[in-house]
Amino acid sequence: MILEIAWKNVWRNKTRSLIVITAVTIGVFAGVFTIAAMNSSVVQRIDAAVNEEMSHIQVNNKDFRSSSDIRNVIDDYPALKSTLESLPGVVNTTGRIIIKGIASTASKSTGVEITGINIEKEKEIFTLYEKLIPGTGSYFSSETKFNTAFIGEKLAKELNIIRYTLTGDALSKLESDGVPAEVVAKLGSVRDQKFPTDKKFSNSVATLLTPAELKNFNLKIKEAAWSYREGSKVILTFLDMENNQTGAAFRVSGIFRTNNDMFESLAVFVPENELRQLTGMEEGTYHRAIARLENDELTDNVTPMIRGSLPGYEVLSWKEIQPDLAMLADMMQAIYGIFMAIILAALAFGIVNTMLMAVLERTREIGMLAAIGMNRRKIFSMIMLESVFLSIVGGITGMAVSGAVIAATAKNGINLMKYSEGMEALGYSAHLFPTIDVQFFITTTILIVLTGILSSVYPARKALKLNPVEAIRGE
Amino acid sequence: MAVVQINNVYKTYHDTEVEVKAINGVTLSFNKGDFAVVVGPSGSGKTTLLNLIGGLDQPTDGEILIGGHRLSELRPSELIDFRKDHVGFVFQSYNLIPVLTAAENVGFIMSLQKWPKEKRKARTEELLDSVGLADRHNSRPSQLSGGQQQRVAVARALAAHPEFILADEPTANLDSKSAESLLDIMEKLNRDEEMTFIFSTHDVRVMKRARRVITLEDGKVISDEIRS
Repeated sequence: MILEIAWKNVWRNKTRSLIVITAVTIGVFAGVFTIAAMNSSVVQRIDAAVNEEMSHIQVNNKDFRSSSDIRNVIDDYPALKSTLESLPGVVNTTGRIIIKGIASTASKSTGVEITGINIEKEKEIFTLYEKLIPGTGSYFSSETKFNTAFIGEKLAKELNIIRYTLTGDALSKLESDGVPAEVVAKLGSVRDQKFPTDKKFSNSVATLLTPAELKNFNLKIKEAAWSYREGSKVILTFLDMENNQTGAAFRVSGIFRTNNDMFESLAVFVPENELRQLTGMEEGTYHRAIARLENDELTDNVTPMIRGSLPGYEVLSWKEIQPDLAMLADMMQAIYGIFMAIILAALAFGIVNTMLMAVLERTREIGMLAAIGMNRRKIFSMIMLESVFLSIVGGITGMAVSGAVIAATAKNGINLMKYSEGMEALGYSAHLFPTIDVQFFITTTILIVLTGILSSVYPARKALKLNPVEAIRGE
Repeated sequence: MAVVQINNVYKTYHDTEVEVKAINGVTLSFNKGDFAVVVGPSGSGKTTLLNLIGGLDQPTDGEILIGGHRLSELRPSELIDFRKDHVGFVFQSYNLIPVLTAAENVGFIMSLQKWPKEKRKARTEELLDSVGLADRHNSRPSQLSGGQQQRVAVARALAAHPEFILADEPTANLDSKSAESLLDIMEKLNRDEEMTFIFSTHDVRVMKRARRVITLEDGKVISDEIRS
């Protein structure tokens, strides 16, 4: 009966209850969705770091990282590999040759990290090959007598391998893509002109178009002008096993695009056998062993196990290689906590305010209930249940709306292209796929109900303090 | 045997500076089947006396015994249970629970007493029938007239077989026809079920029907007239 009365009481002032429920719904939705969007950017960054750059655990010759000497190889890689593969949670391993060097073209040169890879194994462990920009190559799959290299878009731009040229075809494509004819006509003055850098091209286009035109069409124009000559050549120079400088020309067999500019500008991947020939490194020797785990959560447990099994090696988890990422993940948890605490506090004040109004409006009725024999526990429960119902209806609706919107946006993502430059410079994707784990969802729902219960205490106590005689008398 | 025994009861209120003796040494007893009214001018102590009898308020001095219970010895929580199990209340402003139907209002105290659903339903039907509202079971208070609401209040007060009913100005907000009809019902219940009614009123229609009229003035009983 108390449950029934409490539920009916919630709806006796429909407008007020609906306003509170809507406010709670919007508050919960705003909080949960914002957290999901923020979370997505961190999750995507960690996924990219693990799946494209580092994998879960790396094992190095203990002196390799401090000296970067090519001769600091893993002593007995086959034994290390079988030890790694015997440990629970490790699902795959591969070796990498890592050499610091210089990449040059006719016009530019820059420092790089050259990684010699076993192509098939890399494809099993890393997803970087999926980041190949269409039309730039085949990721080592075409037959060629030349040395081949897989490089990042940022490096390709730095080395002037990628240029910007608005050819006649590019201008026609722009027009067919919906760019107004007058804008295309303005661009005619830079037709077939070769711009070695993104910046020079952008500056030139900016002088031709109005700010509004630039805002609307800049990305399309840049995309159309992006030009790359397949099979471009890069000279890689490095030290061999005898500490003599060596090098060779490598044909670019593909350009990858990630959200991490730093990685894109430093990493050069080449087949390990090509690097062995040039450096004189023996077959089966590597500087680094990579271990892939079943999932990210195992990292903290498996890392010490590997460390224990492989004394004398440097064993690093992805969290240790990029502590900023691990710290970010932890910091985000704290931020989510603060964010939800603020939303729950707002919810609590809303409920307290509404329920106080309800109690004060119903002084006489509550007095009558006490007079005819409804005890304090039941009156307290009734007011508490009303608050809980309000929070549950609003909270559950908010969670349901959040769940639906997260599910809807997770499919196609939210594209923040406007901020892509800044976000990608920091290694974050501008295309967010909101995500939230089930545990957060359940915890938040429980916290909403708990907040409802806690916020009911003050109004319910207020109701208990009413003196039936005075309550009935006062009207 | 006395259903209600009031022995030399005082109730004093301390206003900011003045001491107000709302009840000033009242001794009374009510027997089973009484149909009594407490009358007197405003401020004479009628409502205070009813509140004391109903256990809503505690006397400053003296004792009130109801069915062998000494009210002053009961703790607040026991007083609430005492009211639920022994006293029926009818208020001037009906005071029904607005979100419940007539039947649910009548069944409310029975549900607090944890009556089985079937038994509660049967008693509710019997009571609504006896107050002439057999066809308004599912009406909310807002869908009933004042007279009908007060009849539901009477049915609610009777529901759990209290020892007596306290009715504070029950006809004050009713038109003549509704008031007479309500009094007919109460008289019938008094006659047929020997239910004890104690009213406080200014209403001459109630006074005319009463078989006992107690007059209060300045918190004192100045007359206690038994009519045949």
